[in-house]
Amino acid sequence: MKELRKIKIVVAGPFAAGKTQFINTVSDIKTVATEKKTSATNERSVKDYTTVAMDFGKIKIDDEHELYLFGTPGQSRFDFMWEILGEGALGIIVLVDSTDPKTFHEARRIINFFQSRFPVPIVVGANKQDLPNAWSPDDVKFALDISDDEGIPVIPLSAKNKEDVKKVLLTLLDIIRYSLESS
Amino acid sequence: MALTGDLTTFNFADILQVLAKDKKSGVLLVEWKDMIVAYYVKDGEIVFARPVDKVFRVYTDRNFDQLIKRLRIRKEDIHKTIERFFIPRLDQKEGIFSFTPGFIKYDSDIPVYYPVEELIMRASRNLTEEEVERKISDEMLVFEKSPDADSKLARVKLTEEERKVLSLVNGSRTVADIRKESGLDRLTVDRALYGFLAAGIIRRKRKERVQKPSITLDLLAKIIDKIKQL
Repeated sequence: MKELRKIKIVVAGPFAAGKTQFINTVSDIKTVATEKKTSATNERSVKDYTTVAMDFGKIKIDDEHELYLFGTPGQSRFDFMWEILGEGALGIIVLVDSTDPKTFHEARRIINFFQSRFPVPIVVGANKQDLPNAWSPDDVKFALDISDDEGIPVIPLSAKNKEDVKKVLLTLLDIIRYSLESS
Repeated sequence: MALTGDLTTFNFADILQVLAKDKKSGVLLVEWKDMIVAYYVKDGEIVFARPVDKVFRVYTDRNFDQLIKRLRIRKEDIHKTIERFFIPRLDQKEGIFSFTPGFIKYDSDIPVYYPVEELIMRASRNLTEEEVERKISDEMLVFEKSPDADSKLARVKLTEEERKVLSLVNGSRTVADIRKESGLDRLTVDRALYGFLAAGIIRRKRKERVQKPSITLDLLAKIIDKIKQL
């Protein structure tokens, strides 16, 4: 049986940014997750289970190719996994919880990490825009210190909404296409 | 859309940065431990501050000129409210903030005694080691001066140490290089860089190296079609 070629996109972001939900929304399979009960008290108050190694979903493209969406663990104590997962990625999606400004600096740190190691296109997804106290995408962009010349669009979304998730993926793929066409 | 958060995790340099970038107007309410203060923001600049006993009072005064007339404050004196209720609180870390854009109407020009860049630099001088680490998270980061650095610098009074740090930002030195070459202690350097970054005086140097995507255009087109059909 012919082995399918795997194409990889990494979905990164701080703790509880909605990475697993993002993948689940578009994946053909139920996300293969490596979740564990949260241990720290402050984490437990946000959610009961968290990704500790990675989780992934996939989308079959044709008989020869599958697109894999790899979700990284959110806590910085697992950042060794970011390096492993970033290797060979076509692009990076960094999700941010737009209602939680205390995670914005961590999101920037994640962007810095991937920018310095894997110079591939990055898109930021300003998640949880369906909640009333969400910061606008522009304000998230300013808070993350994303300057125009960095070429990182900030796209509003709710990771539960399939059309929103598709829009983020298509934005990333368009940047990749532009990069291919201009190289 | 309101901006809300906690000063313990999103400090004043960060808040002012967001207000200034978009030149927002509105009211920033801060619930300090001992009082609630309303900071009036016009085009990204804090122009006036007043303590309020009840929050709803802020929202009933929608005309700024009428408000200061009613409070019997002369325009040339309104900066004193910033000296009294804002600047001395820059070292306080506990408080809940909420910025509501829009609703206040500014009929006339309001003098700006403390430009936002100046306030951002003052706020950055009070940051703890843990706070500066949030922006200056990697000693390999490289900064360069922003295209409009000079116009922003004209609005701020830098300390001698800050001037020294800024002189070392050239688009090639790393944070580690600047710390070493300045001869200053690490926190002083990092606070200055944090402030410059928040004030838009410097920006991250974009890496020129871009990895060519390891995929053909045909396959990429297939992926795009597939995503569209989901």
